[in-house]
Parts: sequence; C-alpha cells; structure tokens
Amino acid sequence: MTLVKEAPVRPAGKRSAAPAPGRHGRRRENLAGYLFMSPWIAGFLLLTAGPMIASLYYAFTSYNLFTPPQWVGLDNFTTMFQDPRWQKSVEVTLKYVVVATPLKLLLALGVALLLAQKRRGQALYRAAFYMPSLIGASVSVGFVWRALFSDDAVVDRTQKVFGLDVGGWIGNPDYVLYALVALSIWQFGAPMVIFLAGLKQVPRELYEAAEVDGAGPFRRFWNITLPMISPVLFFNVLLESIHAFQVFGSAYVVSDTRCGPADATLVYTCYLYQKGFKEAQMGFASAMAWTLVIAVALVTAVLFWSQKKWVHYEEAAK
Amino acid sequence: MPKNGNVERRTILKAAGASAVALGLAATAGCGGDSGAGDGNVTLRYAWWGGEPRTIAIKKTIALFEKKYPKIKIKPEFTDYAAFWEKFQTQASGGNPPDVFQNAVGFLRKYDKRGVLMDLKTQADAGNLSLEDFRNGVLANGQVDGKQIGIPVGANTMALVIDLKAFEKAGVEAKFGWTWDEYFDALQTIQDKLKIAGDTGYFTIMYLYDLYLRQNGKAFFTDTDLGFTEDDLTLWWEDGYKRVKSGLVADPKKIEQVAPKSGLSAGLAASEFTWDNFSIRYEGEGESDYGLAPIPTTDGKDTGQYLGSLMLSAFSGTKHPKEVAQFIDFMVHDPEVGKIMGYDRGILATTEQYAAFKPTDPNNKGVSAYEDEVAKAGVLGKITPHPSGADVIEAAFLRIGGEIAQGKTKPADGAKALFGEAKAAFAG
Repeated sequence: MTLVKEAPVRPAGKRSAAPAPGRHGRRRENLAGYLFMSPWIAGFLLLTAGPMIASLYYAFTSYNLFTPPQWVGLDNFTTMFQDPRWQKSVEVTLKYVVVATPLKLLLALGVALLLAQKRRGQALYRAAFYMPSLIGASVSVGFVWRALFSDDAVVDRTQKVFGLDVGGWIGNPDYVLYALVALSIWQFGAPMVIFLAGLKQVPRELYEAAEVDGAGPFRRFWNITLPMISPVLFFNVLLESIHAFQVFGSAYVVSDTRCGPADATLVYTCYLYQKGFKEAQMGFASAMAWTLVIAVALVTAVLFWSQKKWVHYEEAAK
Repeated sequence: MPKNGNVERRTILKAAGASAVALGLAATAGCGGDSGAGDGNVTLRYAWWGGEPRTIAIKKTIALFEKKYPKIKIKPEFTDYAAFWEKFQTQASGGNPPDVFQNAVGFLRKYDKRGVLMDLKTQADAGNLSLEDFRNGVLANGQVDGKQIGIPVGANTMALVIDLKAFEKAGVEAKFGWTWDEYFDALQTIQDKLKIAGDTGYFTIMYLYDLYLRQNGKAFFTDTDLGFTEDDLTLWWEDGYKRVKSGLVADPKKIEQVAPKSGLSAGLAASEFTWDNFSIRYEGEGESDYGLAPIPTTDGKDTGQYLGSLMLSAFSGTKHPKEVAQFIDFMVHDPEVGKIMGYDRGILATTEQYAAFKPTDPNNKGVSAYEDEVAKAGVLGKITPHPSGADVIEAAFLRIGGEIAQGKTKPADGAKALFGEAKAAFAG
C-alpha cells in the first residue's frame, strides 16, 4: 500500500520550478494516481482479494460447488489433519522443498561465481544458463522431462552404464520425486542472475586487501564474498522456498496428471487441486489453501528471525 | 521511462484512460457470446470427450446436422475424459454447462442430484425427440427415478483384449465360460513360455471387479452405497498383489511409464480388460494382432456382463430445449450419422443406425461378433445403479489399486482407505 502514497510525489528535480502543491493540487494528483492504478486495483480486488476472502469463508464450510456452502466450523481442518493423503502431501512437499531449494541455490551460486569473472562470450554464457528459467515452467518441458526420465530413456541408459538400473524414474515411487527436483534445479537461472548482481556489488578493494594479507581463494570466498552477498542469499532462500512450497505444474505434468505413481509426487497443491476440482470438495480445498498460507508465513517469519544470525547488512556494520 | 524520471502527465492520463477502456471492454465481453440472435438462428454448445478419430467423426456428423437444420449452429467443445469432467463440473456449477454433452452411467445420478440434467421425456412427449427403436433395452441405461436424463448412442460391454500372437505362440486358448483359474493358468503358460506378463493390472479396474462381484451375486454399487465388504476387497487386492510379485501381472512401474500407451500394446503383457469399443486403440498403438476374448467366470457360465452406454444428455437450463431435442434425435436416429460414427462409442444404439452401418474392418467386425456372442450366451445382466459419487470412487479404486501394485500400501489398508473415501464421495 505504500505505493499508493508514493505515486503522486513529484520528482525532486521538478520541485524548484513549480510551487509546492497545495492541498487541492495534492488531492488532484492523488486522484490521478488512483486512476492510473485503477486497472491494477480492480484486478486485485476482483481477482485476488475477493476470492481470497471468499475462500477463507469456504474453509469453514462444506461446499460442493452446487449446493450453498454449509457452515461446519473446524471440521475441514480436523478431517484434514487426520487424512493420510493430506499427511502424505505434506511429507512429499517438505521433502521437495528441503532437497530442491538448497541444491538449486548451490548450483546458482556456483555458476554465478564462474560467470562473474570476465571472459570471452560472457553474455552468451549468462543467457544460456538463464534460458531454462524462462521455459522450465512450461507444460512442454514437463513432457520432455517425463520422456527423459522414463524407462530405457536417456537418463536410464546412462545410469545403466554405471550399473545403476532402477528401470526409469517416472514409474518408480522411490525416485520420481527426484525427477521433479532435477527439473527445479535445472531452472537455477533466476537466482543465478540475482547472485551475479550481488557479486558485482562486492567492493574490489576488500579482495585486494585480503590478498595482500595472504588470504587464499577459499578464505576470500568465506570471509568476504559470502558475508557481502548474504542479503542476496537471504532473498534467494526466501523466494525459492516460497516458490518450492507452491510447486504444481511440474508434478502435474510429469506424472501425467495423476501426481503419482502411488502418490509419490502428490505435492500439496496437487492434492488441493484434486480435492477442489476433481472431487468438488471446495471447503476442504480452501482449508488446505489457508493452511498452506499460514505454513509459508511461518517459514518466512522463521527465516526473517534467523536473519540477524547470518545476514550481514552494511548499515549494521557501520 | 523518460530519463529525467518525469512522465508527461498527458501520457499518464492516456495510459489510465486506455486501461479503463480496456477494462470496460473486458467487462462487456464477459457478458457477450450468448446464442440466439434476432434472426431466428440458434447456437448450441456440444461437448464430448474422446480421441482424435471420434472428434473427426463427430465433426462430420455436426456438418450433416447443420445442413439439415440451417438455423441451428453447433459449437463443438472436446477434450480427454479426465479433463472433460473437471471442466464440466466447473461450468455446470457456474450455470454454464454445454447445451448437449456426452455422458456416462457413472455421472447420471451425480448431476441429476445437482439439477443439471434435463428430463428429455418432456421433449419426447412434445414430439421433438423419438424414444423408439432402441436395441436391447439400452434406453433404460439413461433412466433415473423415472426420468430420461440420457439418450444412449451406443452399447458397450467389458471385454478381455488379448494379444493373439502371444496366445497362439504359447499354445493357449481363450474359451467361452472359462474360469478365473483357467484364465490365470493360461497366463502362467504365457509367462513361462514367452517371458512376458499375462495381464496389465486387472485388479485396479473398478468395472472388472464389478463383474466379479456380479458373478458372485453382488455388485459394486447399491443405490446409495458400496455393494461389498472391506474383506471382499482386501481378498481381491491381496490376490492381485500376489500376482504382481510373481510376475503374472506386469510390473506397474513399467506400465506407468508407457502411459498414455497401454501396457498390452507396448508388449509388456498379453492381455488387458477394457470396454470393447476401446479395442480399436490397440491396433493403432501396438505391433501385434489383438482380439476380444470372453470374460473369465466363477461358475463356468456367468460372466456378470451387461450392456453399458455412452449417451447424450442436455442441460436443464438450456435456452433452446426444442433445438437440443432435435439435435439429439438426429444424432441417435439418423442413419448417415450411424455410418459415420461406426462402433466408436459402442454398438449403435438404435435400429436405424445399426442397420445403416455394416462393419467392414476387422476391429468393428470383431466388436460386433463379440457382442452377438455374449448376447447369444444369454449371460447379459441388467445394469446396476451408480450412485452419486461413483466417478470419484472409480478414480480412488484405480489410484489405491496402483499403490497396492507398487507395494506401497497393504491390501487391507487400501480397502479401508477406499471405504473411507467412498463415504465422503457419497456424502458430497
């Protein structure tokens, strides 16, 4: 909401030329600001805020889309916590978040470190590594992934060379989730670009001073790079974990819409979708959605709280 | 963005104005698109699920209809089975389902209960639709509580599809009236001699379990509930899992990965249970020859089979009930339509269409001969009820069966889970 207040404020350069706006002028400018934002506000109210409030209400009802919602109090939540498939979906999602997020960030940081150095064709490399981020969420890539990790396909054949035959990942409940993890890691381009920006901000003189003091590359990384980019790292951890909690498309497509086999890729949103749109239990699905919102908010809060232990802001150092 | 950071006011206002206009346009567009302009022309939405051959055929029949009724335009909507019902549910709950749509037995009570389906008897009484000349009493498949809420377009039955070459090579034969023991013995011979599995996963198919139950004097559904016990199902799934472990039933991991292709056409197994009108897919997908074989029995005679139907239903709230009825009438009775559709949705339901279509290809001939044979054997029973929620239970049966096949759920736990989910589905 700060945006609304800031929008009409005049740029500083202009202020000396025109007299400071009076109360009347300010109101007019406010109006222009709101008018300018009206498409967004309308969209927000109609497509985001309205449905969210409605779903909060539905979370406490039994609602099959056809008959009017019946108030059931906390029934949806108690049923949900006892539902073995819900528990399974939580387990699958947590596993996905905990495995995929760190690996993706590690790879993003590693490649960013390599690409931060000046070399020929730098722009080309950056574009090439960023590319999967642009297409990774598409349905067609999901299909390609299914094909890559199936029985007797590229991955399976490569594995067999090393004597690791699992008969394809897609049909195996013990492996299929890792095919999704691989798909997530492959899209490391977005955090990589942010890391790159962070790396550019690290003052050269710190490295020079450290080198003079005899610090090797690992120490320079550990004692200079990492603390200096920790705000960026924090931002990436936050964004990527929130993202990972909401994974849907890849699980849905790679499993041929069944989120299986044997519920092995039944990520939270996939179960929510099945409950809402296949079984028309919209009350239950809404309760699930709000539980996810609260869970993600808690994770975010914990991350923010942990900040002071490991995130280094320059202001704080002064 | 201009460099000095100051956007011209005029630009802002223009942009704001443009977006306001765009918003207004979007709002009006949302209300538009309704049928029935002032010139007496009517547009009906017609939706179905199915593969590409069905879509091509149906589009031809639509063109035929529009030629005969130039004032009625048909807007087709089609997708695959699972997506169809998700979309339909959302549309119907918003009061905006298609005017005419393909329907199946498992969905009749569900959408009747929700007031979505038109009782077409009133239109028949008004003379817009004929309920005469349906074969083998299949018209009853579309009746619920005295209402005619579906008009069958075809009749189909569960069948066993076998890899003819594999059966021949192994020297086994599918016979009418064979028992489950004889069936599994045959699969064992195939497994021993050809080193492939016998079946693709029979115990996850709800409609096959229904036949087995019917052979034993029960049925999958009663009017409001499941028609069997948790112990019955535990036993069925335990046997199934045993056969997965012994390799008689194909490895579910392999089956999963050839999807959407069938495990039978992928050569992973020598037989598969499915609806007889689906048998056309195997010729297209696989390299062997495929044929229809009898359903194994418990007592050496009764297969538990019955004639099911795909049908056409109409939306109770359509603005053009008369045109909808005329359209359905044309689609189920017109001989030309029968010639175009063939047995894609089962053996043609009306005598006019049945007489008009003479199967020439081996697949359609096979389907025709199969149903003749089943009818002659006199084992065809009557269809049993499918209460509201049957569709959700079918999906759960397949899913839990899959978990059991993978060894991830114990049969007894799976049966318990199915009964739990069924309770919720019936209540929904």
